[in-house]
Amino acid sequence: MYQQNGEEIFVIDGHVHLWDAREENIKHQGGEEFIQCFYDYHTGFTPEERQWSLEEYRHYGAERMMTDFFENAAADMAIFQPTYLTDFYDEGFNTTDQNAELAEEYPERFVLNGSFDPRDGEEGMRELERKKEEYDIEGVKVYTAEWRGESKGWRLDSDESFEFLEKCVELGIDKIHAHKGPTIRPLNRDAFDVADVDDAASSFPELDFVVEHVGLPRLDDFCWIAAQEPNVYGGLAVAAPMAQNRPRKFGEIMGELLYWLGEDRIIFGSDYALWNPDWLVETVMNAELTDEQQDEYGVELTTDVMKKIMGENIAELYDIDIEAKKEQFRTDAVTEQFGLADHYGATDATAD
Amino acid sequence: MSSTTQTDTSPTVRAVRGRLDNVTDPELDESIVELDYIDDITVSETTVDVTFSLPTAWCSPAFAWMMAADARDEVEALDTVKRARITLREHLHETEITDGINSRDTFGSVFPDADGGVESIRASLDDKARVGRQYDAMNELLDAGLSEVQITRLVRGDLSLDDDEAVVYVRDGAVAIPVDGEVLADYVEKAAVSGVFSSEDDLLFRTPEGEPIDPDRFDLVHKRTRLAKVNMSGQGNICDALNEARFDPDRPDSYAR
Repeated sequence: MYQQNGEEIFVIDGHVHLWDAREENIKHQGGEEFIQCFYDYHTGFTPEERQWSLEEYRHYGAERMMTDFFENAAADMAIFQPTYLTDFYDEGFNTTDQNAELAEEYPERFVLNGSFDPRDGEEGMRELERKKEEYDIEGVKVYTAEWRGESKGWRLDSDESFEFLEKCVELGIDKIHAHKGPTIRPLNRDAFDVADVDDAASSFPELDFVVEHVGLPRLDDFCWIAAQEPNVYGGLAVAAPMAQNRPRKFGEIMGELLYWLGEDRIIFGSDYALWNPDWLVETVMNAELTDEQQDEYGVELTTDVMKKIMGENIAELYDIDIEAKKEQFRTDAVTEQFGLADHYGATDATAD
Repeated sequence: MSSTTQTDTSPTVRAVRGRLDNVTDPELDESIVELDYIDDITVSETTVDVTFSLPTAWCSPAFAWMMAADARDEVEALDTVKRARITLREHLHETEITDGINSRDTFGSVFPDADGGVESIRASLDDKARVGRQYDAMNELLDAGLSEVQITRLVRGDLSLDDDEAVVYVRDGAVAIPVDGEVLADYVEKAAVSGVFSSEDDLLFRTPEGEPIDPDRFDLVHKRTRLAKVNMSGQGNICDALNEARFDPDRPDSYAR
């Protein structure tokens, strides 16, 4: 657990992956370009001494992931968000089944999400049912810009997508994480559009929609939609590491998010392995708004606000009882492996 | 950046770069020269070769197309240039875009599977840029002492633009207030392109949707324009970091494919 000003901050990393971009898994030039692009994000926003080599970045495996998350107790829990990209990678880039390797071994520490793609039709429906049955998933990550044969993407507000959202309601999968991030493609207007979230969110009030990457580069459209739709949340993956080398810009983005969405609908995510929580959590926790930004936005990044962003908000969405978790983590396998008992045992925690 | 075989009737590299400075990344509303996208400018008599690259191989082909077409048109606007050849490097669609621009094809013929033509994408990005620039323009007027109600009622004809100074007329033209010409001119340029005003009697400022601004909602509209600006500059910071990372001399090689 992270400690700040004598307070314990329970950190749930809302956006993590266990991916494979090794040469033998790449089947299309797009797969190589994709990991190269990720690597530019990694080096562009990681402190130099914490950067990985490209080779370890292509495939780091379960053990490395466990160490990066739990060795210094940077994160207490994490949520897997799969990214299939099966047109680019033979076995997929980061699938539910691949992520299940760790999620099933440490079910108390990881939440496993599924995915759907409306272009998969009936087979996709059966696959969604299988994931629910096999892993009891509560959420899905959807990647509307993914290539599939001739198609270069799909919309969350299409008829086909609505059929899948109805299926989600029926199966009790009520968290829809939509990747609405930087423009890495496609040709169509969807590349900078979050408008499809608007209609989906109003049509399915029983579902919650987490817009990953807070819609950047469409933060303006995203905030305007979220201001009107109470079931729309903002995931900080990709925005968070700006706290490292663009702190003033990070302050502005946080100011806008707090102004338009409020402190209850912003969710931290490292986007691991794009960035490591073991330095990112501390960097974000220490981020500050300038006096000018506090005046402009009328908000502050207090410890209480940060507690919500770093864990409480997503705990609420996923019905995670933080106090019960702390109790459980005093003796679980991860605590034993990394010697974390002090983090969960002490009742009079002090800042380290 | 290299140069040139120049004669008296050739353009200078500096003049070419000056024209390219007018080309913006449509998503960021910032000059491609400032953003450091230009790799090389070569002048040979009346022909100019411009090579550029973008922060990722994945940048939207529609955006890349717009920048390449604008670069060609800007450079060819120089009297001393007969032909500009534009080359996009290290992009997933570098061949299609380079060939298409230099053979003067249309985006739709090169990318038949794109939904929405490049012009509709351009219009929507121009409109975002208009909203972002409005934030600066309104701040300038607020700083100059205009009230919110006065700002919402201004029409295009109330603003007179000179090189670096501008004047707004309020109280039925009875009072003239000097303001920063550049900020207002930048706004007017983009607002005119976006079609929010076409005559002297049209309102100067609009909501992001292009509607007149209700003075009671001035604050909300103003905050939305701020948000558009934060969005563009936030994305600009990401593109800057990617650009540096991608062209870092120590960057490891890709798998040869």
